[in-house]
Amino acid sequence: MNTSYAQLAHALQPEIILADGAVLVIAFDLIFGRHRPLATRLAASLALGALTLVAAFIASVFVGPIGGFYGESFVLDSFALATRGGVIVLALLTLGVAAGAKVMRNPAEYVALILFATTGFTLMAAANHLLIAFASLELASLSLYLLAGFDKDRRESAEAGLKYFLLGALATAFLLFGFSLIYGMTGELALPRIAAVLAQCGMSPLPALALVMVMVAFGFKAAAAPFHLWAPDAYEGAPTPSAALIASASKLAGFTLFTRLLWPGLGALAGDSSHALNPGGWITIVVLLAGASLLIGNLAALAQTNLRRLLAYSAIAHAGVMMLGVVTASLAGPGPLFYYLFTYGIATAGAFGVIAVLERNGGCQKITDLAGLSRRSPLLAGTLAIFILSLAGIPPLAGFFGKFTFFALMLRIGGIASPTGALTLLAIALSAVSLYYYLVVLKQALVEPFASEKPTRIHVPAATALTLLAATALIIGLGLCPSLLLTFF
Amino acid sequence: MSDTLFHLFAVLTVACALGVVLNKNAVASALCLLVCLTGIAGLFVLLDAFLLAVLTVFVYAGAVVALFLFIIMLLDMQGGNRKPFTKSSIVAGAAAAGLLCTGLYSFLVRGHIESPVLATTKVGGSSLRAYAELLFTTYLLPVQIVGFLLLIAMLGVIVLSKKFENLEDIK
Repeated sequence: MNTSYAQLAHALQPEIILADGAVLVIAFDLIFGRHRPLATRLAASLALGALTLVAAFIASVFVGPIGGFYGESFVLDSFALATRGGVIVLALLTLGVAAGAKVMRNPAEYVALILFATTGFTLMAAANHLLIAFASLELASLSLYLLAGFDKDRRESAEAGLKYFLLGALATAFLLFGFSLIYGMTGELALPRIAAVLAQCGMSPLPALALVMVMVAFGFKAAAAPFHLWAPDAYEGAPTPSAALIASASKLAGFTLFTRLLWPGLGALAGDSSHALNPGGWITIVVLLAGASLLIGNLAALAQTNLRRLLAYSAIAHAGVMMLGVVTASLAGPGPLFYYLFTYGIATAGAFGVIAVLERNGGCQKITDLAGLSRRSPLLAGTLAIFILSLAGIPPLAGFFGKFTFFALMLRIGGIASPTGALTLLAIALSAVSLYYYLVVLKQALVEPFASEKPTRIHVPAATALTLLAATALIIGLGLCPSLLLTFF
Repeated sequence: MSDTLFHLFAVLTVACALGVVLNKNAVASALCLLVCLTGIAGLFVLLDAFLLAVLTVFVYAGAVVALFLFIIMLLDMQGGNRKPFTKSSIVAGAAAAGLLCTGLYSFLVRGHIESPVLATTKVGGSSLRAYAELLFTTYLLPVQIVGFLLLIAMLGVIVLSKKFENLEDIK
């Protein structure tokens, strides 16, 4: 790993900016924030945080795709670059959500934690080395645990933080066990060299054990069934911006990390993708996770009355679709997977943004609380409709195109009669099921009248309104013109 | 000689690890963990990894277990009784352990490590000097990341555990 530190510092400019920005936000609040109202401190912290994110985004564009560096420990290919930019954009959306959410204590620390988590995400996007992958994953995870339990006024937040932390720590233990087995087998930490060694020795019981361990951790981070149990509680209890970050940027970075780990790193152990149920590699595990997530996520979502829990189960179902994207990444490259993850992240973060504003204005626990939203705030109702329709996969919007690409690719792998074909048909059928619960939400928001006679109008803060409109524009724009993103790969 | 020692330490480690899980008293569990870690340190010595052995004793057996004991006493658990295992958790635990044992057994019986690297993996980087040099050159960046990890942990502890009742800006 002999390399010049100047090169390292050049390539990691966005991370340096993000980490420094986080420290700066805290310092600024400490010096100037005393004896000022919480709302002012929150606004100042958010503004500084947004500036940091914009600077980091510009820096990541400026650095550009420079390939492997730091002795192959990092790789900045188009996938890494796209994910880097993507998580920064999603973190910006999260700050916009925070501007409209309930004001909490310690706003500067909250924003700083979001920036630290983003640092972890951007490092995850480029990590090509087991040790760095693990450390950056933990950097992001630890920030997310804290963000989930940040609201000390609510018991649910503490519950969400604790559950997320305990299950996350368990998954981390599994991941570390798997990584140490891989290191023990190959004697290497950098993914390209691991791949070279594994290509020689192939599948045997020990790599299988390591794979199972790694996949357990992957399933947890992606909230895929049967490792999804933390997700509904965490989404329900966590402060709304935290939930938005967990659902959007964390998924994007996690899937990027694991896709890189599985395809180039452990590609020799993939098994035969045309016989997905023939035990022989990790594709079998991914396919099983995908099937279970699709079934459990979509069917359990039907029974939900709480809007956040509904979004959580929808996230589990989407994790199943993303798993299909991991399988097809060998066929079509990471482009479609990134497109799906990014647009899903925008739609979910946007939906949480709407929930955040509603919660500040009298609460939004149940789906029925949405009744009369179109009268109370046309902006919220309109943007919510776009986000929900994109999540459901309705044609002109971005969600449709992502799903469609995955299904087409899956069918191309083994034809319609193969196990992958059957799984694809299941996924298509369950997409139809998912329409029901998404449309129930929209019916409440757009059709049902408000409970009392005179609906009160909801004031949407300017920053949040801007965020929601930007997210809507992205969803519509990328849906109409997917090549804007896909030609990048 | 080293075989006998290996068996001694291995049995000690596993027995104490079981003691950590099965003991009803939290203080006794923590003390079992202490002995378990000492056993692991012994295994490291047998593998000529002296630095790791010393670090295990210093950091884990010394500092971490002592902190566990502090926290147990701060929370005033009085070595309190744990809830007994429920039936479902026993079944699930036994099933998981069985699966893991089957996997390991099949590996021991069928598998042999075909990797050509294992035989040639470098040993001898175990001196403190070599370790420190690696830490500050090759693995400088992971060390930095872990530094930020500690900063986040500190931030989190302050935010989550500090009491704010006397501040006027709380509504």
